[in-house]
Amino acid sequence: MGNLSINLKPNFMGLLKCLNSINWFIVFFSLINLSMCIYEDQIGKFDWRQSYVGRIKFAQFDTVSTARKIIVATEENVLAALNLKTGQVVWRHVFESTSSGNIQLLHLSDQIITVTGSNPYLVRGWDLSTGVLIWEWGLTLQKNEHTDFSEWWVQNGLLVHMVPKFGSHIEVSVYNVATGHNRGATSKLPAVWINEGCVLSPPYYTCISGSPGNQLLLSMDVTSDAVQIISKPLAEYTTARNGNLNPFDTNTVIPGFLLNEKIILIRGNKFEAINIAISEPSASVALVDSASGPLVLQTWNDEAKGFTLMAHNLVSGQRVNEIGWSDRSLSIPEPELSAVICTKTAREQHVCRILVTAADDASHLIQQEGRVLWTREEALANVVAVEFVDLPVSDLDAAIESEFDQKEGSVLAAFTRRLQSQFQQLQGAVRALLAGDAAAADEPPPLVRDYFNLHKIMVLLTDTGKIFGMDNLSGEILWKLYEPNLNTEAAVMFTRRSARHPPHDAYLTVVGKHEETGNGLIVSLNPIRGTPVGEQTLHLDVQILQCAVLYKADAQKLHALILLDKDENVQILPESSAPLVENMYMHVADRSSAVVRGYALRHDGERVSAKNIWSVDLSGGGSQRVVWSVSKPAAERIHSAGRVLPDRSVLYKHLNPNLVLLLTEGPDPVHKDVVVATCVDGVSGGVLSAHVHRRARRPALPLHSEHFLAYLYYNDKQRRHEIATLELYEGPERWVPAGAAFSSLRGARAPHVQRHAYIVPAAPAAAALSATERSLTDKHVLLALSTGAIVELPWALLEPRRALSPAGEAREEGLVPYAPELPLPAEAVVNYNATLLRLTRIHTAPSGLESTSLVLATGLDLFYTRIAPSKTFDLLKDDFDYYLISVVLAALVLATYSTKYFAARKMLKMAWK
Amino acid sequence: MNTKIIIIYISTFVLGNVYCASDLTEEEIGHVIEGRVFPPEDPNNSNWQLDTRVHVNGGEYIGFVREDGTFVVHNLPSGSYVVEIVHPDYMYEPVRVEINSKGKYRARKVNYVQTSQVIQVPYPLRMKPVTKFRYFQVREQWRLTDFLFNPMVVMMVLPLFLIMILPKMMNDPETKEDLKQISNLAKISDVPEMSEMFTKIFNRGSVPKPTSSKAKQIKKRQ
Repeated sequence: MGNLSINLKPNFMGLLKCLNSINWFIVFFSLINLSMCIYEDQIGKFDWRQSYVGRIKFAQFDTVSTARKIIVATEENVLAALNLKTGQVVWRHVFESTSSGNIQLLHLSDQIITVTGSNPYLVRGWDLSTGVLIWEWGLTLQKNEHTDFSEWWVQNGLLVHMVPKFGSHIEVSVYNVATGHNRGATSKLPAVWINEGCVLSPPYYTCISGSPGNQLLLSMDVTSDAVQIISKPLAEYTTARNGNLNPFDTNTVIPGFLLNEKIILIRGNKFEAINIAISEPSASVALVDSASGPLVLQTWNDEAKGFTLMAHNLVSGQRVNEIGWSDRSLSIPEPELSAVICTKTAREQHVCRILVTAADDASHLIQQEGRVLWTREEALANVVAVEFVDLPVSDLDAAIESEFDQKEGSVLAAFTRRLQSQFQQLQGAVRALLAGDAAAADEPPPLVRDYFNLHKIMVLLTDTGKIFGMDNLSGEILWKLYEPNLNTEAAVMFTRRSARHPPHDAYLTVVGKHEETGNGLIVSLNPIRGTPVGEQTLHLDVQILQCAVLYKADAQKLHALILLDKDENVQILPESSAPLVENMYMHVADRSSAVVRGYALRHDGERVSAKNIWSVDLSGGGSQRVVWSVSKPAAERIHSAGRVLPDRSVLYKHLNPNLVLLLTEGPDPVHKDVVVATCVDGVSGGVLSAHVHRRARRPALPLHSEHFLAYLYYNDKQRRHEIATLELYEGPERWVPAGAAFSSLRGARAPHVQRHAYIVPAAPAAAALSATERSLTDKHVLLALSTGAIVELPWALLEPRRALSPAGEAREEGLVPYAPELPLPAEAVVNYNATLLRLTRIHTAPSGLESTSLVLATGLDLFYTRIAPSKTFDLLKDDFDYYLISVVLAALVLATYSTKYFAARKMLKMAWK
Repeated sequence: MNTKIIIIYISTFVLGNVYCASDLTEEEIGHVIEGRVFPPEDPNNSNWQLDTRVHVNGGEYIGFVREDGTFVVHNLPSGSYVVEIVHPDYMYEPVRVEINSKGKYRARKVNYVQTSQVIQVPYPLRMKPVTKFRYFQVREQWRLTDFLFNPMVVMMVLPLFLIMILPKMMNDPETKEDLKQISNLAKISDVPEMSEMFTKIFNRGSVPKPTSSKAKQIKKRQ
């Protein structure tokens, strides 16, 4: 038996070892834990959602149902009900984003009637109070090019469809609204006098026709059984040689139109000119009904007086004084009256509610005296680019930092500085304590950087050319800037100076195109305040081919903007930075010809010139065209240069910072459609790898980071979406010694490419990779689906090194065995049940916390949240129980001393025995 | 030009034997997919029709649910479509609907891995909610069993069992001696006496008293 204890010891050690390895397993499994979802009580704590509908096309006030609403139909093919008081979306229906979802008509009676599509059409009736579909019917017409000019309206409970065939006739069809039953079939009205300039004012169709100088104003009621044409010489109404017809923006009363700033009504089959002057040619004119008879409302943006509104009584021609004002503070460019409702109060005063839509897509509901009830910034339904900008540090922090900047000075001076800032800190703390919570709740939090740098400003560039600065924590719009000439197609934004270089302000540049000329338009602004800085708005006289930011900053800490124009000339902004250009390379991919050209930028002492050094033709015989080109994020850091394998050897990653992934697509005579993914070195032009997907279409959403790449495509043969992932490795030995800079020009060695494809059991709409400050944290892929969910997937699931049946070593390394279908569990949905409609892009940005990545999803909705791919390892959980831990600690201390006391007593007793 | 395109399409038809939406001529536009969505069994879900959307091919075609749950998706050319019912809180199983050029319908379960597998489902579609989505993690609650089966606790208890209970069972003097040694080693060093600490703090500078704590006296005697 004596041997047992000796045997026991090694066994015991073995047991410990075994337990230890179990422990490793626990650690390992917790690392790839898939459940990263939030708790139910955390809804809205880190995230917010804003719902938009798009630029308003048609709007009508709902006067029937008890809950006051405005029903709107928008350019984004959305039908929505907005709360009259707050402007919030009550309900929303999103139609197809293609032309089949185009809303042609919105009509309100006891139901909402919409006509969508463009041949085939769909007519739908919706419940006015709940928004639920009641009936729908489809209509397909014979294909002809005139249907683009067709008009729809509802008259006496019948739906009228009119198709004009210019120079020949008008086809009018009348349908029963609810059933689509065609009453009296289609009638063809002969009208050789119609042309593109005609306007419709139901049921009259009015044109100017005839030879110049001898023109006639012609109008016809297209719904009446007997064809009656009203015809008058144009000269009776206007002295101008050319008549210009315009419909009213809103008309609910009498058929009429505008002829060269003159109101002409059609009453009793006669034209009737109204003697009310239209003050501005660009004014938006509306004809509305009120208690004291019809009113003519006009609004325009006066240069001197700002937003101006004016009303006249249609019958008397008198100005209605209580409706009409000018407001300089309102910035509503090119206002358009979308909907107006006027009532009368007990004191015989007109009360009007006016919905105005501006050229910057914003909609304002204005009440009497120009009070704006609410404003909806519908431009945000179309965000093109997003940039997260750091906030400046607070004055106090800046003072502490400046303390360390001053290197000269005696010890005593440094000591007094220290005391001074310490005193300031104390002062601040005392002030905060005295002010209490009440004051803090009232005023908005100051725009200064917080401890973890989680508070930032998001600069959003929208399709209309409006730029917004938004607080990321609250979603509040801090500033907005409307640039009417900015065409944001393929526009880019650069943060050229962050806010961490006081006294210099932050500097952000938008590079876009001019709306009319197509030449470069550059807008520079301070992203914190939204004020123009530096070169401000610069209109170039040449088209831009490519742009980049110089990696080196000048003395003012400003990164220069490098522009390569159509004539292959280089412009540097500011020009003083030209000598800093060194080792700069650029590449330009031509979409249609699929030719990629590489340029080397050289500074020859005077100016910078670009030289075409390589070009790669990816057209594959002319059929392919470039769909996407994606390089690495500029500010990316790499934490690890390799992967440690179970046998303690290292598999080195191929970390080429110049790598560009180009996706091309084109038809193929044998394989129908072919998608090619090519990895090109952006400096040398060397092709590192190329992959062909046959019978595939629509390559999309490329992701590129560190040594891995991913892209989606639609597999036509199997009819499913697939994601292809690539990883580039150098092998077990480094190509360049550790610490040495990577050079694309040093020897052409092809990296080892691992690849896999996975099935995505959904329709992806957008994709992004999580971004953290030092890339220590795992990379996760955020995949937005057409269902409105954003799914967070660990890269481990997409890894191309996943083997079908992992052998011993691979299993030890922690590779998940290959499964063709990607799991998309509900727990991984970061936006839980807050469905996001028509998502287009996901933007990610690092925060000051290594574990946390900030996410903004844009589309019809905006959704902001933060994700922690490896869980919040650097932050206590928000449900951390301080109370419990202090109680346990206190109890332990108490127990220690009490047991000590009892032990001492016992010892004493034993000693006396 | 037109005939050329058609010839190419026919050749791919024969080769691939899979038809697709884009190949079809205009006359074939105008098929509809019909079905009925069954509401989730949730009492406070009165306006579920508003939240429920019908997506065909991931939103390429959209249908809307009527008051009674029926839906129709219009103007589809013949081809193969995946019909999804999208609801923020409830999961519905998607269905693949195939419409051939003659206008015949076939509905089957979606299987992205084995795409040729056919498990037919009735048409017009009948979409029933499968489960409620579980988006949220459940907050952990303190339970005794969780604590006991915690690997750390198990790791502590098991050696304790080996050290304390096993020797008692063996009842052997020699092993007892060994274990005594181990327990002696494991003895926690003395915790400082509170009163001693205070006297040390407050009587700093003065001569420390010769008498020490009781525990030390006992030790000396031992």
